[in-house]
Amino acid sequence: MTSRIRGLFSGGTSPALLSLAALPMAVILVLVIAMFWVSVQKGALGTPSAVYTLTNYSAVFGDPFVVSVVVNTLIFTISATLVALAIGLPIAWLVERTTLPGKTFLYAIMTLGLLIPGIYTAMGWTLIAHPRIGLLNRWLVDLFGLDDGPINIATPIGMGFVQGLSLAALAFILTSQMFRAMNPSLEEAARVHGMGYGKIIRRVTLPLARPGILAAVIYIFTIGIATFDIPAILGLGNRVYLLSTFIYLKVHPQGAGLPEYGITGVVGAFMIVVAGMLTLWYGQVLRQGHRFEVVTGKGYKPALIPLGRWSIFAWALILGYALISKLIPLLLIAYAALMPYFVPPSLEAMQQFSMTHFYGMDWELVSRGLKNTVVLVAVVPLAVLLLAFTISWLIVRSRSRVRYLLEFGAFLPQALPEVILAIGALLLALFVIGKNVPLYGSVWIIAIVYIVARLAFATRALNGSLLQIHRELEEAAFVSGLSTARTAWRVLFPLIRPTLFSVWIWTALLVYRELTAAVFLAVHDNITLPAVIWSYWFSGSINKASAVTLLMTLVLAPLIFIAWWFGRRSQVSLN
Amino acid sequence: MGGFMKVVRVLAGALSLLTLASYARAATLAELIEGAKKEGVLRGQWGQASFGGSEGFKEIVSAMNKKYKTDIKGQYTPGPDMQALMLRVIQENAAGQPASTDVYLGNAQAMLDGLNAKVMRPTTYNQFIQDKPATEGKFNPIAADGTHVAFATAVVGVQYNTNFVKGNDIPKKIEDVLNPKWKGKIASTPYAAGIREFATPDFLGREKVVDFTRKLSKQIAGLMRCGEVERITSGEFIMLAFTCGGNDVNVARRTGAPVGHAVMEEGTVLHMRYAAIPKNSRSPNAAGLFIHFLMSAEGQELLWRMDGLDLHLFPGSQTKRELDRVRAAKGKVIINSPEWLASFKDYTAIQKELENILRQK
Repeated sequence: MTSRIRGLFSGGTSPALLSLAALPMAVILVLVIAMFWVSVQKGALGTPSAVYTLTNYSAVFGDPFVVSVVVNTLIFTISATLVALAIGLPIAWLVERTTLPGKTFLYAIMTLGLLIPGIYTAMGWTLIAHPRIGLLNRWLVDLFGLDDGPINIATPIGMGFVQGLSLAALAFILTSQMFRAMNPSLEEAARVHGMGYGKIIRRVTLPLARPGILAAVIYIFTIGIATFDIPAILGLGNRVYLLSTFIYLKVHPQGAGLPEYGITGVVGAFMIVVAGMLTLWYGQVLRQGHRFEVVTGKGYKPALIPLGRWSIFAWALILGYALISKLIPLLLIAYAALMPYFVPPSLEAMQQFSMTHFYGMDWELVSRGLKNTVVLVAVVPLAVLLLAFTISWLIVRSRSRVRYLLEFGAFLPQALPEVILAIGALLLALFVIGKNVPLYGSVWIIAIVYIVARLAFATRALNGSLLQIHRELEEAAFVSGLSTARTAWRVLFPLIRPTLFSVWIWTALLVYRELTAAVFLAVHDNITLPAVIWSYWFSGSINKASAVTLLMTLVLAPLIFIAWWFGRRSQVSLN
Repeated sequence: MGGFMKVVRVLAGALSLLTLASYARAATLAELIEGAKKEGVLRGQWGQASFGGSEGFKEIVSAMNKKYKTDIKGQYTPGPDMQALMLRVIQENAAGQPASTDVYLGNAQAMLDGLNAKVMRPTTYNQFIQDKPATEGKFNPIAADGTHVAFATAVVGVQYNTNFVKGNDIPKKIEDVLNPKWKGKIASTPYAAGIREFATPDFLGREKVVDFTRKLSKQIAGLMRCGEVERITSGEFIMLAFTCGGNDVNVARRTGAPVGHAVMEEGTVLHMRYAAIPKNSRSPNAAGLFIHFLMSAEGQELLWRMDGLDLHLFPGSQTKRELDRVRAAKGKVIINSPEWLASFKDYTAIQKELENILRQK
């Protein structure tokens, strides 16, 4: 028994666990190789016109336009990260460390927001702050007699702001568990020594939460680099290009020439370098993780700070955020779904409300999309949980050098735009394994990409939780004769159940609304509901897209409330 | 396991041969109908903004079933733009996979790509299309080699929001869109629709159009795709110079949307819409029947209703009336066909040059 414990924590790793963890790593490796393979080709891939060349690299790194794209991307990503944290972090703290009332409602607000595709947040902000049609700009022009609207949302900072609103929910979920699991004894000790709440937050709470906050920063930053929908809606039409939209244009030339997958591959190679640096940084944070192990076998009882009248102020801020990031887009969706054609909202326009888009809906297509989406939502989160728990446990508990590889492998898909993963999977399914394994055109190819893409999110969350569970609990279980699996089931799972539930529901929601990979991989039988919505929107049918989104939201919203209610009743924390 | 796979492959090969053989025999309409009945399903994929999207497909398949007394199940999936879809078909063909769409509908450029890649199935349209459309000069809507058929015509012009652009402000000449009044308010397409054809020697020539495009790039507020008519109705852009065709305006106006379309006095380009059957189509007979229906009077009427276009070479065509007005004003009319595009070796290079100009502020 002692040797087993020593083996696990001093370098040795269980072969069965390692094999399970290696499975997604192998997929990631194959996809990365496929990307490099793509990066050295020009022409229509898979056809005789494709030739091997290195010109894609010179085309990317020698193009001054790419420099402007990278600068735009950095500005956008930094803005998005700052905005997301400025909103998500305080809300997480309020929920987990204070007596703020109505927490279930708050979780529902944050979750419901994820159901609204980013394209609608972008559309909502187009109507608010577009230089020509934005209501705010029109109001400012009228008020001050200006020639043009002073606010322009179609800039890297403006788009970053909108993206930040969208990512605030993720910042919330990524940091809230850190606050929740924090041992209050250190804060109480500080209070006994006469520190005020402000000073305690600054000197005790935030330093303890540093790994969680840093993890959130890295995670959101990488999402910002790869994000597509908001830059596409706000940027493309106004000729502001980011890396994701640059890749999109290379893959969808929208005019002369063939898609330049090779350029995408080069950008993917560049992203691997970025991912590598971020992973090293994250690894350093993780290696210092033992300093933050604050949940132990005894004396763990989080205490909450009484908010009193401040809860009114806190709720005003939360509702303000909900209004601009969720309610306005949702109202806009309802408005667009009921309008025969799209014009800026007005009482006059609302007289034309009709159910045309619902009556004329292609139900065969919608049900095909829904069926595939349900399969993905059922399968992907469970697979992600199983694989991510295995990987996280090995990363946090093992002292073998393999854990660095696992860390790198699990984080890599996060920093790679999903379009790269999708293209890799597509080309593999078409030209490498297509004749033997019928993956092309099936829902399983999408599931594989989703599982790989969501691993980073799940391992980030589980790493944070496992870090806070002192290993003495597992050692005690081993000494008592429990197997590794039973130790996980009887000791770890109950302690990290909140995080497991959280990862499951958030992965399910992210899968439910996931778009990028689906757009590239959906062919006919495997189309998903978000891909249906995107197809409608992308071809100019904003109203039809809105009608499907409205249905999708109305159907799912009650299910989310039920899930949260169930979570509350089962005493499962909702973070 | 290996033996089992061999058997499966042999059976699959035999099945494909049988399908091909039955299709090869479908030289008459009756045989086509019988073949389609056996296939039972027709998968269609193209952009939702094209040809009436899912509703259009549903209506056309339903009318086709009624006309030919068949019971083919139509399954539509929204797809990417016409050229991207053709590339997908080419790649699927190269990989030995079935085509995403049983029947391909798209533009001349995409059709040229498909013809170059030899992925279109030669078909005996001449034998089973009864009411053949007229020809125009060298242009025959039914390709001599039977690989594709032109079934509709879209007329290039300028799209505008009728709340903002009225009366004499409506552009009449190409240069009118450069009026300083429109600076920062109008859009063009990322693929230089219309403009790219103006650059051919048949029309205004490369130098003149490159110069015009540089001015236009400074004039526009942004780029939008054809079919995004709601970005005009919303006032985000008040004009689109130039369009892929006025058909989406024809449809939008029926709902009362404040949008109009003007053809320039200098002339226009006819963006022909083509239909073809991919070699790797799973239902080639049903696809053939679908094309046959599109080339019928009922099909043309339905296309006009669903997507605001029809083939100007059929008698009674609505599009022809608009063209007659252009021709009466002595405007030049060019038909954009794969053969016409193939005759300009610099066409793609010019298009790329114009696209790059438009993407820079």
